[in-house]
Amino acid sequence: MGGAVVGGLMAYQGLGGVFWLFVVYSGLTGVALGFLGRHRPGGVVALGLLLGLLGWLAWTLTLDPLRRGETPTWTAAAAAAEYPRLVGDLLAGAMAGVLFPLLARFLPERAEPEPAVAARIVIIGGGFGGVAAAQRFEKLRARGRAVDVTLVSDSNFLLFTPMLAEVAGGALEAQHISAPVRACAPHTRFRRGEVTRIDITERAVVLRTGGLRDERVPFDHLVVATGVVPAFFGLPGVEERGFTLKTLGDAARLRAHVLGLLELAEQESDPRERARQLSFVVAGGGFAGAEAVAELFDLVHGVLRHYPGIDPEEPAFMLVHSGQRILPELSDRLGDYARERLEARGIGFRFGVRVAEVAESAVWLNDRTSIPARTLVWTAGNRPGPLLSGRKLTTDAALRVEGVDGIWAVGDCAEIPDPEGRPYPPTAQHALREGAQVADNVVAVLEGRAPKPFVFRTIGILCLLGHRTAAAEIKGRRFSGLAAWFLWRGIYLAKLPGAEKRLRVLSDWVIDLAFPRDITVSRDA
Amino acid sequence: MRENEPTRDDLVGGAWRGAVAGVAGGLVFGACMASYGSLPTVASIVRVSSPYAGFAVHLVIAAVIGTGFGILAGRVRGGELLFWGVMYGGFWWFLGPQTLLPLLTGEPVTWDLAAAQRLLPSLYGHLAYGAVTALAFALLGRGRPDIGLRPVLRGLVAGPAAALVLLPASNLLVAGIVAGIGYPLLFSGRREGTGPALIRGTVYGFVVWVAAGLTAPPLLRGDDLDWSAAATRTAVGSLPGYLLLGAGTALVFSWLGLLSRLLFVDDVRRLHDEGAGAHGLHATGFGILAGLLGGSVFALVWWRSGGLVQVAGLVGGHGPVLGLIVHLVIAQLIGVSYALLFRRRAFDLASGIGWGVSYGFLWWVLGALTLLPALLGLPLRWNAAAISTAFPSLVGHLAYGAVLGAIHQYLENRVNPWWVTRGEAETARVVARREQALGSAPALWMVTVLIAVAVPVFTAGG
Repeated sequence: MGGAVVGGLMAYQGLGGVFWLFVVYSGLTGVALGFLGRHRPGGVVALGLLLGLLGWLAWTLTLDPLRRGETPTWTAAAAAAEYPRLVGDLLAGAMAGVLFPLLARFLPERAEPEPAVAARIVIIGGGFGGVAAAQRFEKLRARGRAVDVTLVSDSNFLLFTPMLAEVAGGALEAQHISAPVRACAPHTRFRRGEVTRIDITERAVVLRTGGLRDERVPFDHLVVATGVVPAFFGLPGVEERGFTLKTLGDAARLRAHVLGLLELAEQESDPRERARQLSFVVAGGGFAGAEAVAELFDLVHGVLRHYPGIDPEEPAFMLVHSGQRILPELSDRLGDYARERLEARGIGFRFGVRVAEVAESAVWLNDRTSIPARTLVWTAGNRPGPLLSGRKLTTDAALRVEGVDGIWAVGDCAEIPDPEGRPYPPTAQHALREGAQVADNVVAVLEGRAPKPFVFRTIGILCLLGHRTAAAEIKGRRFSGLAAWFLWRGIYLAKLPGAEKRLRVLSDWVIDLAFPRDITVSRDA
Repeated sequence: MRENEPTRDDLVGGAWRGAVAGVAGGLVFGACMASYGSLPTVASIVRVSSPYAGFAVHLVIAAVIGTGFGILAGRVRGGELLFWGVMYGGFWWFLGPQTLLPLLTGEPVTWDLAAAQRLLPSLYGHLAYGAVTALAFALLGRGRPDIGLRPVLRGLVAGPAAALVLLPASNLLVAGIVAGIGYPLLFSGRREGTGPALIRGTVYGFVVWVAAGLTAPPLLRGDDLDWSAAATRTAVGSLPGYLLLGAGTALVFSWLGLLSRLLFVDDVRRLHDEGAGAHGLHATGFGILAGLLGGSVFALVWWRSGGLVQVAGLVGGHGPVLGLIVHLVIAQLIGVSYALLFRRRAFDLASGIGWGVSYGFLWWVLGALTLLPALLGLPLRWNAAAISTAFPSLVGHLAYGAVLGAIHQYLENRVNPWWVTRGEAETARVVARREQALGSAPALWMVTVLIAVAVPVFTAGG
């Protein structure tokens, strides 16, 4: 209408241009106005003016000369020649902006479609898999998918587990390697609590938050991403006396224990007891075990300058592994390299044996030998927590738990088959991608489409071997030594959630370069 | 009735206040018209030629137009009204003397550049009318303005500080002091993001230019008011300086407010109003992509006008290819700055385009007219002829800004949708922030458009 009025006036006044062309052009501007301003019909005059200006720039100064076979110049002279069209465009745009809300008022209101009922989705677990699923659901929701997502976790942060060994070693502050779930998934409803039961019949999880009674959180689809806890296999003394490395609390306890033993050892006159205090055993030759023994070595030797009564030759480190070489996930060459680097520092290895029992002053192995030690770090087994009765959930390739409708599983707690039928390894890089895939698949099912199978090839594997040394295998290429160490730090720093955490970890690392590690320990530790 | 729609009482009250405010604005505008002798033209509407009759007719028209302002702007608050008034006055310049007045007097509409230049005194009169009407409307609605001492002190520092930065180019110290005092008085020191503050400041700089750069000098010399095209062409050389002075004043004012809150506010609730989900790295990535796309559109314009060759000189090189690379890098850097400054400020595509076009205009003044020649060792393009020559660059900057704002808004809302909240309290906060941003922003965008389209009128001839 604005275009018709202004175009008619321009034609009547002989201001050039073709009337119907201007009307068509103004009609298109009006369509753009209606589309862009549909959410706030009360304030589109400014939008009309903006479209008038942009339309003048795009059509009158650019496309119209091209239509006439001329080259647009956009000069002040060209603008001056087209000034009448500018006034016309601005007035038509503004008039359209004024008329739009008036017409919208008088036009019959279109019946709003019934809002789609949002599917209730509950994610159990705030680790890599759970948070990745929540983040993906947020994106899908922003694109109009009707999902109402609740993430339930017993801790309110996402723990960046690859750096946990460095926390135990005192190189990093504990809080710096964790990010609040509420910040990682800012548009997801978060409930902190422990899920005690999944009621498949009633489609609800039972949540214990510390309130008077347990709550039931209903769901239409459930994503289980609970991760794993250490498995002790009923070995005597391991659960009671061993140290694990799965949580921030574990890392802090281990560090405090080691520093406490150093305090005791310096004052201990009995050489046998002193040897036990300064002997550290790590069970498990995987990534966690290798990184833990390397970090323990760095921690102890990094603070020994404060303990002049302890000879640097006294502390002993032993890694016990049931296989014949450490880091079986890496190639033989890198595994051997890692062992050589650790051996060169004086770290000992016992291959082909398992821990059988942990006594107060010794670690007994299944070959009936013992290692006198007051410290055992247990990294030799994991299993899902009590919610899943300690058993992994077996899924199909599309991440659906077999035999149960609407239940999905991702991460370490799930056994997900790869295209060859073998289970995917329990790593963070897999969990992240499984989380995103499960969100896509849940939405696909909600929309009546078939979910897609999860297919992913491991990008690379990295293992930190303590001071300035690491081993890595990325896309088939092997790295070791300082280059791998830089690679490890660079990649994991980039993968930390949030710029703030990256800066904090970076500052910890820089400080660690220049200053000795702190030996402060809380009296309660 | 739709939610938030004004009631009948609101409309009637607003109309009355608008009429009174319109008379106040009309008195100022009428005095100006009397000084440059255009009241008889107004009187010709009622077929007489007496200036007194013209003044009376003018006041009636002013009251009627003021009533329209009161109905349209009834819900806009306080200092936000100023730019709504300026925009309203500017719009009536197109609709009134260029369109309706000739039609009512049986003449053809005067939509050509020469007529627009002849009507420049009327443009400034309309702007003054709009500004005075808006301020009177605000005072009638709110009574005594609520302004603290701290914002005034911040303004007193901000204006001269911005003028000092501009000192190598132009001595605007006195104007800086005036601008610094006026800024908090008009906008009451309310918090806002740095990006919107920059745009507000740029538009404020234009208002200061009209008052201090164009109007005051002849009056201070004891001459008559001179708003002619020739006077405008002379004064337009100082327009970039005033625009940057306004932007700088707003920037320093805003940052001083932030610093003041960090140092002196003991209530932490007043420190943080950002919601969850502000991702700095995401914003940077979006800025790079949006800047690249906007820069590509801009490059099409600049390639034709030979600007790319000039840009290559920034790195001491030659040739359009190097110029294109440098141009795209700069476009990305500006894109990143946009993404960081305007993060969570675009609530729909329209507001994304509005902020983007306004930011593009600011960079035309700062980049094309100021920094580019300065870095190339050339005189600043702070005169009418050079500004007119730089018009293709203005077209490019506006197109760049529109694409930048639109793409950034699209990307940002894909990963961080402002409308997805986790509870009623968060929804209320988001809605309040949206209403605050969109309450004043459209007026800023419109005045920016007005300044941009006025460039040929200000600079032509000579």
